[in-house]
Amino acid sequence: MKINGVAIDDTFAEAFTMRVARLIITGRNPKWAREAAVKLTGFATSVIGCKCEAGIERELPESATPDGRPGVSVLFLTMDKESLPQQLIVRIGQTVLTCPTTACFDGLPDVPDRLAVGKALRVFGDGFQASKVIGGKRYWRLPVMEGEFLVEETFGMQKGVGGGNFLILAGDADAALAAAEAAVLAMTNLPGVILPFPGGVVRSGSKVGSKRYRNMIATTNDAFDPTLRAITESQVPAGVNSVLEIVLDGTDAPAIEAAMRAGIRAACRPGVQGITAGNYGGKLGPHHFHLRKIMA
Amino acid sequence: MSDRVVLTLATAPSHTLVADCIAADRFASLDARAIGQLPVVHGGRRARLGDFFTVTGQRSAALRIEGDLERVEGVGTGMAGGEMLIAGNVGPDLGLAMEGGRIDVHGSVGENAGGARPGASRGMTGGEIVIRGDAGAQVGAAARRGLIVVMGNAGPRTARAMIAGTVVVFGSTAAGAGRFLKRGSIVALGAIERPATFRYACTYQPPHVPLLLRYLRARYGLAVLDRHIAGRYERHSGDLAELGKGEILQWVAE
Repeated sequence: MKINGVAIDDTFAEAFTMRVARLIITGRNPKWAREAAVKLTGFATSVIGCKCEAGIERELPESATPDGRPGVSVLFLTMDKESLPQQLIVRIGQTVLTCPTTACFDGLPDVPDRLAVGKALRVFGDGFQASKVIGGKRYWRLPVMEGEFLVEETFGMQKGVGGGNFLILAGDADAALAAAEAAVLAMTNLPGVILPFPGGVVRSGSKVGSKRYRNMIATTNDAFDPTLRAITESQVPAGVNSVLEIVLDGTDAPAIEAAMRAGIRAACRPGVQGITAGNYGGKLGPHHFHLRKIMA
Repeated sequence: MSDRVVLTLATAPSHTLVADCIAADRFASLDARAIGQLPVVHGGRRARLGDFFTVTGQRSAALRIEGDLERVEGVGTGMAGGEMLIAGNVGPDLGLAMEGGRIDVHGSVGENAGGARPGASRGMTGGEIVIRGDAGAQVGAAARRGLIVVMGNAGPRTARAMIAGTVVVFGSTAAGAGRFLKRGSIVALGAIERPATFRYACTYQPPHVPLLLRYLRARYGLAVLDRHIAGRYERHSGDLAELGKGEILQWVAE
């Protein structure tokens, strides 16, 4: 299969079931909503080192937020149920609570699994906090020096998908980066998906474990490192001198598929020789995203 | 089962009619005949609800009441769920000790709406009461939780001894509002006579107030003004003769 002359490899991306929450952060204006969201999702690229993965899903207009102010929707994922509330409590407490003008709402209100995040954060109020029930939902009002921070008592948690991916194989680094940027742009603001890595792009794709260091969980994906083509079991095709990876997390498999379709199509541009994907032989992750099936 | 139960006042009471059997959730399991057999007290004498109201529909937690109910007391007492619409004025003790559900009054109400039963320490503990006209004295007295909205004016001693919960008044609020208030909130969009035992804290935009007002606009179609949603409010803490963790939020400006 070829798209715009770019070969689509007959392979699949292998992804995992994770736990996901959606946060709606609002602020007096888009700047402050985004400031909080950027801090909240900072250092949240991979569960390997960050214990969580998070990213901005999309910016929301006033009409789409609970309090009628500009907002940002954030997806937040962990590998298990227990660590999701822990991460949310710590991160919201340090990045949204501290950010001027912001409020924090649940973006999965219909999900039955509830995490008592606001309920835990309320104790920052040192006994001066107050709760209000509005439309059947409880909110906590925490007094802060600026005025008050409003946070919803519980946040929904559901199963999500982490680790959707595709690799861009290009003739040089400039072409790889341009294609990756085009792919990210095409996937930006798509519902139910985040790209947790810097600018949505990974240059250091990894393999499980290590060939040399026993205690390493993940090490460089030498099969796709062009500089190691001559000394490892390389999968880098001839003529390819740079590889970039796009990693996607989402609320469900259809959302990941839709984003991969848009991203791969945008990445198929001059200078790109092929698109492939990372997997573990299909033995580890329950979600398999077959590139040719997605792009058919 | 019907879409809703409709009670229509057919015989106007000549004395006070205590109809604390009327609650939306209570009707969800009753047929029309059983609803008509529910006990009421008219001028101190026992009677049946059907002696005064015609009943249409059955087995529904959506209830509509039509007619002049100014002499009818205790409507919605202990109501724990469902939706009740009252198409006109209603007498005292509306939603007494209410636990849940919604009461929407397209008129004015007598005193002690959402209040406590005689001798009880707690009034309503949940649910919502929207009064599109005026409210009599002591609306929300001793309420423990819940929301009361008065689109018109609120009488004396609004939210007296309220433990928690919220009373929103779009019109003016008479003297004695919030006396002995513990933790609750009075949101005053009009003039309010504050007790001397409330102390000014600051002028700010309480973030939950826009949320609340937008909810009222969306859920009940109330005519909430943008200037109230975007406005600033004076926060007065009180009652300092009590716990002092309650508040009067008085709208002051956009």
